[in-house]
Amino acid sequence: MNGENGRKSVLVIGGGIAGIQASLDLANMGFKVYLVEKTPSIGGRMSQLDKTFPTNDCAMCILAPKMIEASQHPNIELLTYSEIEKVSGEVGNFKVKVKKKATYVDWDKCTGCGECSQMELTDTKEFEGEIWVDRIRIDEASCIQCGDCAQACVEENKEKQAMTNVAFERRSFTELPPDEREGREPEILPQRVALMDEGSRTDFWRQELSRCIKCFGCCDVCPVWIYDKTELEDPEWITPGEIPPAVPLFHIIRAYRVGDNCINCGMCEETCPMSIPLRTIHQLMRRQPPESIFEIIPGLDAEMKKKLVQAVRKQPKAEKKQPAAKRKGRK
Amino acid sequence: MNSDFVLTVCPFCGCGCQFYLQTMDNEIAGVVPCKTDEISEGKLCIKGRNAADFVNHPDRLKSPLVKRDGKFEPASWDEALDIVSKQLSQIKQIHGPDSVGVLSSAKCTNEENFLLMKFARAVIGTNNVDHCARLCHASTVLGLVKSFGSGAMTNSVPEVEGADCIFAIGTNTIEQHPLISSRVLRAKEKGAKLIVADPRRTPLVEFADVYLQHKPGTDVCLLNGIMNLILSRNLADKDFIAQQTEGFTELEKKVKEYPPERVCEITGVEQAALEKAARIYGEAERASILYAMGITQHTTGTDNVESCANLAMLTGNVGRESTGVNPLRGQNNVQGACDMGALPNVYSGYQSVTDRTARAKFEKAWGVKLPENVGLTVTEMPDAALNGSLKAMYIMGENPMLSDPDINHLKKALSSLDFMVVQDIFLSETAQFAHVILPACSFAEKEGTFTATDRRVQRVRKAIEPIGDSKPDWLIISELAKKMGGKGFDYKSAQDIMKEIAQLTPSYAGISYERLDDGEVLAWPCPSKGHRGTKFLHKDAFVRGKGKFFAIEYKEPAELPDKEYPFILTTGRLMFQFHTGTMTRRIPILERELPTGFVELNTEDAKKLSIAQGEKVKVKSRRGEIEMKAFVTDGILPGVVFIPFHFAECPANELTSSNLDPEAKIPEFKVCAVKVYKG
Repeated sequence: MNGENGRKSVLVIGGGIAGIQASLDLANMGFKVYLVEKTPSIGGRMSQLDKTFPTNDCAMCILAPKMIEASQHPNIELLTYSEIEKVSGEVGNFKVKVKKKATYVDWDKCTGCGECSQMELTDTKEFEGEIWVDRIRIDEASCIQCGDCAQACVEENKEKQAMTNVAFERRSFTELPPDEREGREPEILPQRVALMDEGSRTDFWRQELSRCIKCFGCCDVCPVWIYDKTELEDPEWITPGEIPPAVPLFHIIRAYRVGDNCINCGMCEETCPMSIPLRTIHQLMRRQPPESIFEIIPGLDAEMKKKLVQAVRKQPKAEKKQPAAKRKGRK
Repeated sequence: MNSDFVLTVCPFCGCGCQFYLQTMDNEIAGVVPCKTDEISEGKLCIKGRNAADFVNHPDRLKSPLVKRDGKFEPASWDEALDIVSKQLSQIKQIHGPDSVGVLSSAKCTNEENFLLMKFARAVIGTNNVDHCARLCHASTVLGLVKSFGSGAMTNSVPEVEGADCIFAIGTNTIEQHPLISSRVLRAKEKGAKLIVADPRRTPLVEFADVYLQHKPGTDVCLLNGIMNLILSRNLADKDFIAQQTEGFTELEKKVKEYPPERVCEITGVEQAALEKAARIYGEAERASILYAMGITQHTTGTDNVESCANLAMLTGNVGRESTGVNPLRGQNNVQGACDMGALPNVYSGYQSVTDRTARAKFEKAWGVKLPENVGLTVTEMPDAALNGSLKAMYIMGENPMLSDPDINHLKKALSSLDFMVVQDIFLSETAQFAHVILPACSFAEKEGTFTATDRRVQRVRKAIEPIGDSKPDWLIISELAKKMGGKGFDYKSAQDIMKEIAQLTPSYAGISYERLDDGEVLAWPCPSKGHRGTKFLHKDAFVRGKGKFFAIEYKEPAELPDKEYPFILTTGRLMFQFHTGTMTRRIPILERELPTGFVELNTEDAKKLSIAQGEKVKVKSRRGEIEMKAFVTDGILPGVVFIPFHFAECPANELTSSNLDPEAKIPEFKVCAVKVYKG
């Protein structure tokens, strides 16, 4: 690979602080630099830190100018959201095949307004600092094809629509009348659930959740579960010893306890003896309120709603739980 | 600090899920699911996930106890074993070897069951050895042997997923065999049809295509009715019947006497449902029958089992993948305890004690003369104790004081014994009656093998050192046997015992620790070293040659409701407790879910008796009376009440009758007459 001025060019793998600095140094020496980064943005770990050792400097204050410099340097070409597929050749003359992944965004048109990511999430506060992830990368496994991101792009940027046709097609699919969807059945469960009408979605969840045998496995294996699992039960409204536990309250509380901490590892679903699609609940809950996932609000009386809110807000207790004998048994 | 993961087998139900015990410096830190295990696939039920919580419980027996002046006092092993060997030898000498009864345990390993069987037969010299299979699947072992030639689950657990019709009769699969029920539900997701027949509306009913809520004890009639419909609709597999079975004409004649109208009148199910069930089962390509205690625990238990076998043979659903007659065994090693010959009529591998060649083989191997007559069963021992012919009992890991029927009667019997030894991990209700208690190790502290419900032999591995002074059961038995002058008890490890089992038991001949530790999945029959185990039985031909149809007449249960005792009592288990609760009641999370028993009764009945939800009521039968809370539900037939038998404070078995199946000697836990009233 020869540079424009006849000199050899350099490929740097990894866009963390080390990769950025190396690229800048090389570019300043006159080499043409290709900086390959797996994630959608350069910055790496350092962008996630507050202070750096030993000077206690603000990490972003050091990193941000370098990131900007790298992105604007005439000798540096950023290849983000890309991965190395194959390296051949020998020292001094390498040939590298780079796979650039689809972002569904037309980069010549994108103004970086960030509206698309605002739309995807119900509560952006929780995701601050991470917004870029959702803006330009659509994780196909978790995309429910709501099409809100493309819509936001149209509304914000009427002249130049940066969200590409793929995203539009996905959105329009969900708007098709059911008979025209035939043969184009979406594959993944979250998409299917999102497409269901209210009644069949309620039935779907009732059917899935009524398989629960209350093994607490989903809590046991969850890496972010920090509560005492017995707190999931309140004898007044989820009776101990009852199978299945109250549908869908038991699972809503469980899912909300995990809430935004969920790292989508899927262990809960994998360990569930009854194969309840727990992961889907979490994926949907990141984007939608419970009433639109489970349709529970119409049947929920005020008292129970209060309890639900209380239970979700309750912090993990340090003290021991009540002795078993004092608890109310199966009615 | 030393941390390790030890792969072992769950000590509760018969599914045979493997998991890792995580140990930290000789203490168990937790249970970790094993994703490569074929049965559990990294999934476990609540009992499995908390299976290790009882191991370090403070109630564990830590040293031998000897009763002196009505009080238990700690003793050394030497002292305790001396007393036991002296007393047993003395009783044997004065009253003969048949005055000693031995109860083996479905909770202990194959090796320990084999050894206790050997101890009873070779050292004491009696065939009075039995275990709790008598109370759960004795009718299966007998009935399926008579029909097919082998008394075990015909197919393996993973095959359930491939069936396209599953007929679950008398099994509360979701609560009792969660990991098998998960396969039932997966089969259903793939399009299989599910038929559930149960007098109680169990959780599985929610997923059933057809639900038959028949009256307790009318199973034969129901199955005959289904067969009648299958025959009249021409859905029987004529080729299969002609080639592989015998006795069809008698069956056909008998089944003709059960037209749907009559069946519906007796069983109380709707005719439309019965017809739908018959159509689904008859038309299915691969139909699998699952059954459990609802079929076996009757005075007609053997008849019920044979009827299930009839139905499967009638439609040619035996000897192929994802079909068969599948009794779901309730305990981790109840299959193994039966295989090891802890039964009064057979040696290991179901070799009959009355068969000369089999007896000669064992006599030669053990170098002693063996008794010839068939011994006493669990259910016959109390009467023998009361009439004075049984003087001593040796009970390993069983708790008949909660699990046997009519426990008031049993209490009298046990108190009348001259000498009783209990070998257990906790001071159970039964152990209170013992003269000497020997502390044993739990599953986490010993090596061995368990045989799961689908004949799969799996390794149990030692995770921690024995708690206190406790010893593995096999070590206790072999030390005692040596003290009593038994020869051939010089085992260095459980592996040595397995070698002897393989030598003497044709179906286990190819099974060894080396192969199991290599990760091989071996389901017996495994007759040679190169054999890879048998996934499903009766392929191409039945074990007994031809499958036998039995023409069976419906008989009423032994004790039916009358004016004084108007309700039918049926007993059973629940998700969150296990059997007599010796282990599960010491696991906090399970005890929290279900701290005590209850009586389940129909809303209408409750209204008639003006019993409110949760109110204290008394339940009385001809044999006893207990008090507990009422649980009013629509999920049970009017006129029927259900009580779980786990709880010592309200033991359902004080009420149950000790009426036995004439052949299998299994008591009728599922039907007896009671009355319910407010105290």
